[in-house]
Amino acid sequence: MMFKKVMINRSDFKKINDWLWEIPKDFRSDMRVSCRIYASEKMLGQIFRDQSIPQLINGATLPGIVRYAIAMPDCHEGYSVPIGFVGAMDVSEGIISPGACGFDINCGIRLLKSEYSEKELKPYLEKLATEIQKEVPSGLGMGREKKLSLQEIDRILERGAVYLAERGYGRKEDIENCEGAGRLEWAESRAVSYHAKNRGRDQVGTLGSGNHFLEIQKVAEIFNPEIAKDFGLFEGQVVVMVHTGSRGLGHQVCSDYLKEFIPLMYNKYKIKVPDREFACVPFNSPEGQKYFSAMASAANYAWANRQMISHYLRETWKKVLGQKAKELEVLYDVAHNIIKREKYKINGKEMDLIVHRKGATRAFPPEHPEIPFRYQKTGQPVIIPGSMGTASYVLAGVQTGEQAFFSTSHGAGRTMSRRAAIKRISGSQVVNRLADKGIIIKCRSFRGIAEEAPMAYKDIDRVVEVVHRAGLSQKVAKLVPLAVVKGE
Amino acid sequence: MKKFEVLEHKADLKIKVFAKGKKELFENAMIAMFEAAQYKPLAGGEEKKEEIKISSFDFSSLLVDFLNEVLYLTETKKEVYQRAEFEELSETGLKARLWGRELKTMGVNIKAATYHQLELKKGKEGLLEAIILFDV
Repeated sequence: MMFKKVMINRSDFKKINDWLWEIPKDFRSDMRVSCRIYASEKMLGQIFRDQSIPQLINGATLPGIVRYAIAMPDCHEGYSVPIGFVGAMDVSEGIISPGACGFDINCGIRLLKSEYSEKELKPYLEKLATEIQKEVPSGLGMGREKKLSLQEIDRILERGAVYLAERGYGRKEDIENCEGAGRLEWAESRAVSYHAKNRGRDQVGTLGSGNHFLEIQKVAEIFNPEIAKDFGLFEGQVVVMVHTGSRGLGHQVCSDYLKEFIPLMYNKYKIKVPDREFACVPFNSPEGQKYFSAMASAANYAWANRQMISHYLRETWKKVLGQKAKELEVLYDVAHNIIKREKYKINGKEMDLIVHRKGATRAFPPEHPEIPFRYQKTGQPVIIPGSMGTASYVLAGVQTGEQAFFSTSHGAGRTMSRRAAIKRISGSQVVNRLADKGIIIKCRSFRGIAEEAPMAYKDIDRVVEVVHRAGLSQKVAKLVPLAVVKGE
Repeated sequence: MKKFEVLEHKADLKIKVFAKGKKELFENAMIAMFEAAQYKPLAGGEEKKEEIKISSFDFSSLLVDFLNEVLYLTETKKEVYQRAEFEELSETGLKARLWGRELKTMGVNIKAATYHQLELKKGKEGLLEAIILFDV
């Protein structure tokens, strides 16, 4: 089936407020709900220039979708729905779509706090960055030297970061401070193919390439001193951010289920969608349940991956700073590509929904039962990475975020294609510019660096301003990089 | 005849592949994928040989499924392939042999070939054309 071309004009957008725009349900006959886009007027202009809006409209046609198909301010064109999408489907009548979760299942962010200030750590930064690069393989889709057995992979798939913590690669607090406590219990390793498991055998504890990175950062600005204090953040503090996901294992789970579901979608369930890539089936079907378990297994693998990276980081920390160096503590670990079952009130009635977040960060408010006790008063820490070498943010979930199924943006969002970036700037120029700003950068080659140049992305400050002002999350602290470790 | 060209896309890798026939289309798509993402083989070294057997929903899905199977082999065996020979290639299935070398470096890591906006058609001068989007 062909992708539907849509002619859409600015006049088709209804302004809800300065940060929110709507495309009404009657814009296209196959839309089941309206679309809502969180953006400033200027950003809307940028979003308008690629296929994000037609892809968002396609998302609004999915069976069982309730309330709105939502786009975040960092959205850009992807495949099936745009990156920066939130769509919630009714459990009883709705679908589950592997394409609307994407290949990098549980791509996410973990932020670790140190007790050091930038001043105290400065003499050790270069050495830390060098050692971290050695300890955490970060390029080429390649893995570690030792391969795990398939039995060990099965345990990781079913028990996630919990399994690694029990084996001595982490602490109880690490697990408590993960979304889903580092383990989605409906995971089933038998729902994951041999191909996927085999791809995962040497990638636990690896960053991968592309936009994934590890950064040593400092807290540059505090916006909300009270919450920052509760989060254990102070100005000048050194923190470490890890951005990666489920690696080849997650990619394979997505590929496997897209392949399996396309014929089921057309022939068995007779679902009509405008893009084959949705490959959706009813959530309440044996196949839908199997994918939901496989997706959870890959998500568990991603939490284990970030847990293992934390372990290597802690070892490196001690090696460089001495055995007495205080251990890095996890602030929070949150996914931005995942499908979760959550409860919301829709038209006054509590409903079980299947929330698809593709390039959107979950952001639960204070007193939400699914966040740890220590964040019950503040709301969940919401961690938003910038593009390489630019600022990142810590926010906190708020009650008004319910309008977007408690979701917030996931980054800066591309505004320039990889090819356009390469034409405009070279990898060595990017590295030199970062070095001019005093940022240490460790990459094995310049390949792939130009593509991730800050100029290829939207301004993160503006993206975060939108989610703050729109009431999706509140700003707590701004982080700036001191050293970047990147895949090629 | 050029084998492929890279098309503009904001975040991912979009390729248009050209070929005189179906088997060549599949082989050129594989070559295009590796060249566009700059997967480079180790110079010298022994030749690697793999076999693939796939069945799919329809012909265009078969192309995507073939490329994803090749990516699986690349990642797990650390190999990059330069040649494919198809013993069988129907509308819904294929049996192929691949020849390649050990993988030395890659420019950008391809996560997968997608079915999004997948286009297969007969273009100018009777050439077969396929547009494929890869998540990178």
